[in-house]
Amino acid sequence: MAKNIIDVDHVSIRFNLASQKVTDLKEYTIKMIKHELMFQEFMALQDVDLHVKKGESWGLIGVNGSGKSTLLKAITGILKPYKGTVKVRGEIAPMIELGAGFDPEMTARENIFLNGAVLGHSREYMEEHFDEIVDFAEIGKFLDSPVKNFSSGMKARLGFAVATMVDPEILIVDEVLSVGDQAFKRRCKDRMQEMLTGGTTLLYVSHNIESVKRLCDHALWLDHGEVLMSGETETVCESYLARQEKVYSFARKAKEDRKALKEGRKYDYLVVGAGLFGAVFAHEAQKNGRSCIVIDKRDHVAGNIYTERKSDINVHKYGAHIFHTSNTLVWDYVNQFADFNRYINMPVARYKDRLYNLPFNMNTFYQLWGLTSPEEVRKKIAEQIARLHITEPQNLEEQALSLVGTDVYEKLIKGYTEKQWGRDCRELPAFIIRRLPLRFTFDNNYFNDRYQGIPEGGYTQIAEKLLTGSPVLTGMDYKNFVLQHPDAFEKVIYTGPIDEFFDYKLGHLEYRTVRFETEELDMPNFQGNAVVNYTEREVPWTRIIEHKHFEFGQQPATIISREYSTEWKPGMEPYYPVNDEKNQQLYLRYRELADRQKKVIFGGRLGAYRYYNMDQVVEEAFSLSEKEFGRKVMLDDK
Amino acid sequence: MSSTMKYRIKVFRQYKDLILELVKRDIKLKYRRSFLGYVWSVLNPLLIMIVMTIVFSAMFNKTIENYPIYLFTGRMLFECMRNGTMGGLKSVTGNSALLKKTYIPKYVFTLAKVTSQMIETVFSLGAFFIVMFATKTPFHWQLIFLPRILIQLYIFTLGLSFLLAEMNVFFHDIEYIYHAFATAWQYLTPLFYPIERLPNVLQVCIKAFNPMYCYIWQFRDIALYGQTPGPRIVIMGWIWAFAMLAVGLWRFQKQKDRFILYI
Repeated sequence: MAKNIIDVDHVSIRFNLASQKVTDLKEYTIKMIKHELMFQEFMALQDVDLHVKKGESWGLIGVNGSGKSTLLKAITGILKPYKGTVKVRGEIAPMIELGAGFDPEMTARENIFLNGAVLGHSREYMEEHFDEIVDFAEIGKFLDSPVKNFSSGMKARLGFAVATMVDPEILIVDEVLSVGDQAFKRRCKDRMQEMLTGGTTLLYVSHNIESVKRLCDHALWLDHGEVLMSGETETVCESYLARQEKVYSFARKAKEDRKALKEGRKYDYLVVGAGLFGAVFAHEAQKNGRSCIVIDKRDHVAGNIYTERKSDINVHKYGAHIFHTSNTLVWDYVNQFADFNRYINMPVARYKDRLYNLPFNMNTFYQLWGLTSPEEVRKKIAEQIARLHITEPQNLEEQALSLVGTDVYEKLIKGYTEKQWGRDCRELPAFIIRRLPLRFTFDNNYFNDRYQGIPEGGYTQIAEKLLTGSPVLTGMDYKNFVLQHPDAFEKVIYTGPIDEFFDYKLGHLEYRTVRFETEELDMPNFQGNAVVNYTEREVPWTRIIEHKHFEFGQQPATIISREYSTEWKPGMEPYYPVNDEKNQQLYLRYRELADRQKKVIFGGRLGAYRYYNMDQVVEEAFSLSEKEFGRKVMLDDK
Repeated sequence: MSSTMKYRIKVFRQYKDLILELVKRDIKLKYRRSFLGYVWSVLNPLLIMIVMTIVFSAMFNKTIENYPIYLFTGRMLFECMRNGTMGGLKSVTGNSALLKKTYIPKYVFTLAKVTSQMIETVFSLGAFFIVMFATKTPFHWQLIFLPRILIQLYIFTLGLSFLLAEMNVFFHDIEYIYHAFATAWQYLTPLFYPIERLPNVLQVCIKAFNPMYCYIWQFRDIALYGQTPGPRIVIMGWIWAFAMLAVGLWRFQKQKDRFILYI
């Protein structure tokens, strides 16, 4: 196999958003004191792979800000990757901006030498090619005028001429051909074509898909710093255009909605948060002839159940979501919006290279002790508990030990719990664990519910379908919306954090949060199961999710997410409410404030500061609809 | 170690011409619009010296023999260092447009800036010789040590510039802080007054902790007093130069990959 000329392996690039702005001491000190310096990170590229063989031409496509230029900068060496490696075997001629190195005060002649030197060419070399450059750039009589007097087209011509005078091994072109007149553009394209036939490798960024199709044989589609697709130009460009079309129609709809708002259109409800709760409520409202306008802070709908399609795999962006319920109405209701598959959650625990089934059942006990009958197991556990002589558990460790005995606790509970809470089990209060169910059957199904499954094609479609017919504004903050359109709605359904609504005036409610490190791997199957818990304290992550197994995927690659429990700080993604005395008290005080709000109804997981499973969220949304519209929720066709 | 060294030398050779072009640019652009052009490199220090001599010579004439040369030697080296570091301080931030668009080793800009200032100083030697003639100062053979002094000063200025350039990327305030600092430094260097006028403690401090003292006194030794600079002051000059370069390069190399995120 021929050696690749460019190898980009798992490259991530991180910008520190905060410090990009902080360039004076005062601001720096203030931010440091407020601890705001560290966690305003922005991943401009995430786990990007690109392998280019000699002579190939690659088009990089994606919307503005998707990381195309950042990737080029990583390849040229301007940016050092935060993670991963970039290997380039050949000389690069970068054209990231034509004439970037020009000094406006100097003449064209001087600038040719300066720019050549910037590109790493020697003086003699430049002298040899000087005439060639001047000819191509067609600046004959202006050769000795300062470049500041040049038109942008002339500057571009000069820049292009200097950059392409050599036959570089790798040519990098970043959206530079948009300036200059038609004749020049054609000549540039000809020159590039000529270099391509001459064996130059090309990396080309353009929003002009036609030119990508013409010049490139491969394409890489970036979105929010991640690779969405890579391969044959035709296929990638077609998918990209299709997506653009969808985005475009969405944007057009949003524009119309905004226009309607501006013209004073009124809605019965403003639903804050386009997650499951808000979407179900909006859908029910519509069925009952009420109008809703839905806004969401994020730039997508579906809230935390959002799934994103990447390399043909639906990635659970905000953590694994498995739908399970015993409520027939809820189950039938969600099945209207997606086909649910036969997925049953059977997580596996990994402790020191040995695997154990979860939840604790006869399979687990067999793996632990080799015991085969429930009676033996009961005896074994009872023995272990009795030996400990714990009468009144003082902490979580004693509590757990007194429920399941030494082996289950040490191997399957201790490390995992400590990672989750970031504290020693002996320092955690006993009440966190009230009971630890032990099954004396060979049943690996994690949930006890009657119905269970994953929507084929991901969860996002459910929210999208529920929201059909209601205007949705994404990337819209509640406070901003109310400022702009104070009279556009009668009532508010608020599904955001309740403390945020009141500007944290009583203090912050605390959450446990999870950080995900998602990675695409070049193998069809990483762990053979959707969820594997790592119960050793020494392994830093708590679990690994392999997304394809939720839908029994057969794709050639796989995507995994490592989950890390992280201490929550204001500004982070809130996941799990902390159910302790202090936070509950605080919540109740907020609740009092909330009850005094006549026009605002708080709902959903964050509005109620409670951990809800998805089916509970749907039930909550049902009961709110029933209260608001005075009619029982039914399936759509009834 | 040797392979990284080899690689660095290879990169340096590749960008040698860029350094030359940048130095040329600095020097060309400085006087491009003016009628007299390079003549100003000579004329400017000369004029300032005349003004300062008129103002201060009455004050210090008694204590300093040949005041114009005393003043000129001090000012020439201090200005060289100050202009060099002021330029060096902005060398990375000022070229952000270029650094964001192409890969260039970042030290190239600092090196070019300080080098062009050094060349400027060499040009202004013309003025120095004119003053020597005008004041009928004898040309001592010790003047052959002048290049050594300039090399020491060059290395010192380069080191300080690396340090300042690095700091300025992360806090733009450094520019103003350094401005004030340089002014204080200037007054704490006996450029236009005799060092004996200062209290004893301050004199000792300046001799021990003001690197500019090492360079200026070497210069005065050879130009004014016709003495070979003593080994102590020469060694001090080298130590200051290389210590500064080591500190500056260390900081610069350590942080250079993060520059791009901040400029």
